[in-house]
Formats: sequence, C-alpha cells, structure tokens
Amino acid sequence: MVYISSWDEFAERSIQLFRADPQSVSCVLTSRYVMKYRHCDGKLVLKVTDNRECLKFKTDQAQDARKMEKLNNIFFTLMARGPDVDISEVSGKEQSEAQPTKKGRGRKQ
Amino acid sequence: MVGSLAQPTHLPPYFKLRKVSSKSAREREREPSLFAFAMVLLQPDPFLNELTSMYERTTERGSVWVTLKRSSMKSKAKRNKMTSAGETIEYRCLVRATDGKKTISTVLSAKDHLRFQASYATILKAHMSALKKRERRDKKKAGDGQTKQEDLKKPPKKSSS
Repeated sequence: MVYISSWDEFAERSIQLFRADPQSVSCVLTSRYVMKYRHCDGKLVLKVTDNRECLKFKTDQAQDARKMEKLNNIFFTLMARGPDVDISEVSGKEQSEAQPTKKGRGRKQ
Repeated sequence: MVGSLAQPTHLPPYFKLRKVSSKSAREREREPSLFAFAMVLLQPDPFLNELTSMYERTTERGSVWVTLKRSSMKSKAKRNKMTSAGETIEYRCLVRATDGKKTISTVLSAKDHLRFQASYATILKAHMSALKKRERRDKKKAGDGQTKQEDLKKPPKKSSS
C-alpha cells in the first residue's frame, strides 16, 4: 500500500486517478475513494484506488481533516457530474493543476 | 440467565441446571447474523442520520468506513442495452458507510450532491474530534480566541500589544 506523506501530492494524484478512469473501456467505473476513521485511536486514513493503483494517506491531525473536506467536495462534484467537469470552479485548489484535458476555456494550444 | 430455571430439589446443589446457550449479551452481539450482510439502500437524509449514529456508536472502539464511488446503478446488461440504443447513461454517486457490522448506502444524483455534501461535511466536522490539533505558535499569541488553526495563509501583521 502506498502511503503518501504530502497532502498536496495525495490530493493531486488521487484526482488524476479518478479522472483517468477508463469509462469507455468496460462501462464500469472502478475508482473509489474510501475514508476510514477511528475515534478511539484518533486516526484517519484515506484511500483512492482504481483496483490497479492505490494511493493512501494516513493522519491524526485535525488540519488534515479540514483539507479532506475540501477534497470531499471535489470528489462529490467529479462523481456526480462526470470526470470531465471543470473543477476549478468548485474550489480554488485546482487552479495550479494542468489544463483539463477536454474542456478548454476557449483556445487550444 | 442462570437463575431463571427451576432447580431440581431432589439433587444436591451442585447439579445446577443451566441453559445450554448461556451466552452473555456481548457474545450474542458478535454472532454473525444473516441480516448483517445486507446492504441497506437509503434516501440521503436517513442515510445521514444513520451515519451520525454510527459515528456516535463507535467512539469507544471500532471504525467507520465511508466509500464514495461513481456508479450508474444499473446492471451490465441494462447498460449495454442502453448504449446500443443510443441512450446516455446517467451516472450517480454511490456512498456507502459501514462500522464493520452494518452497512448503509445511498445514491446521489447531480442535484442531490450539493445539499448532501454540506450536511456530510457538518457531520464529519462534528464527529472527528479525536484528531490532534497542532499548536504551532506558542510564542506569538496573535489575536485572542484563535482556537481554530486555519493557518493556510499567514496573518497579515502582528497583533499590536
């Protein structure tokens, strides 16, 4: 299991993993985002996988829970609306990411 | 309970009758029952209520898993039929939650998810209280009442004494 130590790296890679889900291949979407919380240990573990690659993040910090909430919003949007959705409108988090693959804002380069 | 049976009077006291299955309540709890493996599909609001009680139940021990996955909620045959007929398949967000024993789930469409994610965020914030809060600045007591550390951006200036 790959535990990623940087939150930003985990967030970016997990979003990429989600977006790259080969929907056209089998019409079955295999990526999922799992969150496990143990109150007795005070631990939070996040996992994003497409059953081939797996990214995990473990923490016991409250500030990471806040970051996770933002990531949750992104995932909800991605899942409900589709992987091509321009999520920079959801939060300012994705503005540093590379251009979205399909939906350009206007000009193609 | 042991003492609920009428004891035979003609036998010495050490031949006490006991019920065969004298399990404690805790052991009975652990027994796997068929219903434990049923996936309960709920509407978003009952799901949220049930999720809240799951978090409340697992404070002393246990974990809560929440899984988010995109799904059309249709079987493969139906999906293939729809694609060949030219109909677009509507995808929705499947949310599952479990405490190891009981599993609940709900399905969100695009219009449900905004409301759901707000309530969901509230629930998480309320219940994930066991995580550590980092005391970063001990020297700089900048601004009183700063219990939350939303230190993503630095404070613009030092607080005047």
